[in-house]
Amino acid sequence: MVQGDDLARIIAGCKGGDAQCFSRVVDMYSSRCYGYFYRSTGSKDISDELLSELFVKLVEKIGSYKGGSFESWLFRIASNIFHDHLRSKQRRKKLLESRQGQAELEITEPRQSDGELVDRLQSQLVRLDKETRELIMLRYYSQLSFKEIAQMRSEPIGTTLAKMHRGLKKLRLLMEG
Amino acid sequence: MDGHEPENLRELLGRFFDAGQVEGRLADFQEAERLLREHPAPEPDEMLIANIKAEIAMRLPAVRVETFRRRLWEMAGIAAAIAVLTLVGVRLFHSPARQTGYYASLIPTAIWESTNIAADDADLVLFTTEIEQIKDEMLGLESGLGTGDADSSVAELEMELIQISSDFWKG
Repeated sequence: MVQGDDLARIIAGCKGGDAQCFSRVVDMYSSRCYGYFYRSTGSKDISDELLSELFVKLVEKIGSYKGGSFESWLFRIASNIFHDHLRSKQRRKKLLESRQGQAELEITEPRQSDGELVDRLQSQLVRLDKETRELIMLRYYSQLSFKEIAQMRSEPIGTTLAKMHRGLKKLRLLMEG
Repeated sequence: MDGHEPENLRELLGRFFDAGQVEGRLADFQEAERLLREHPAPEPDEMLIANIKAEIAMRLPAVRVETFRRRLWEMAGIAAAIAVLTLVGVRLFHSPARQTGYYASLIPTAIWESTNIAADDADLVLFTTEIEQIKDEMLGLESGLGTGDADSSVAELEMELIQISSDFWKG
């Protein structure tokens, strides 16, 4: 795990346009960011796309990173990308509904026909509402504090805690059931 | 993958829940996180990671150019601001003496051309005295020593000048 000064050096290298430093950042964060996308979307293909988009955004936006928690900054971008994806899916879904007069499948419903092995956790996660699911995944994969997550979501920390607790409790019941 | 500090979470929960509820909620959090740990998400494919790195390497030159261009614009902006400030400073501190008014002869040419010297002399004395008085008042106003309302004083002076001028022409 890269810490403090090393991370600062790597980020400084990224700001200077050093490909090796970007490569290090990809190695350090791709697993967690991919987990966050996969658990939030339930699709490997979409997670692949979103992860690529995240690191492209990182390259474009690294100049605007002004210090503070890098993970918080990175996962804020990841969360924005995920929400953009949801919005675009919703738009496409509405368009399809209006054209074909039929509803598409739930966007996050895991589909065995895709040839993906859906694990038990993923099949229960889709029973949570999107917001709660994303909140749980953001907390778990970003490892951010509740204070940081509350700031990111622009809501009181008590609200974040309560939503998280309700979501985790429901997930636990679903997994035990 | 854990990294959370239960002590901090306990403290945080303590701010929102009764002491009796804190332990139960903390256990809920820990149990759910155990579930998540036991069901890890798949890892991204190596090919995907390689593609991402290649994509980054491909985009970097463009990003470098953009960064350089942005810095150049920023520097140009700063240079322009400095130039404007310098110009304003130079104009402020090295400007030539301002012309605050103009002078014109108030004595009509008719006086100079008249042959009635006695009548003209009397008018001229009166006229000159009045002009001198107005001049003193104007100087006082210009130097800022006047005590009254500057606008109304100037208006009064103008009225006086007009009156003198018309009186003179009336004879």
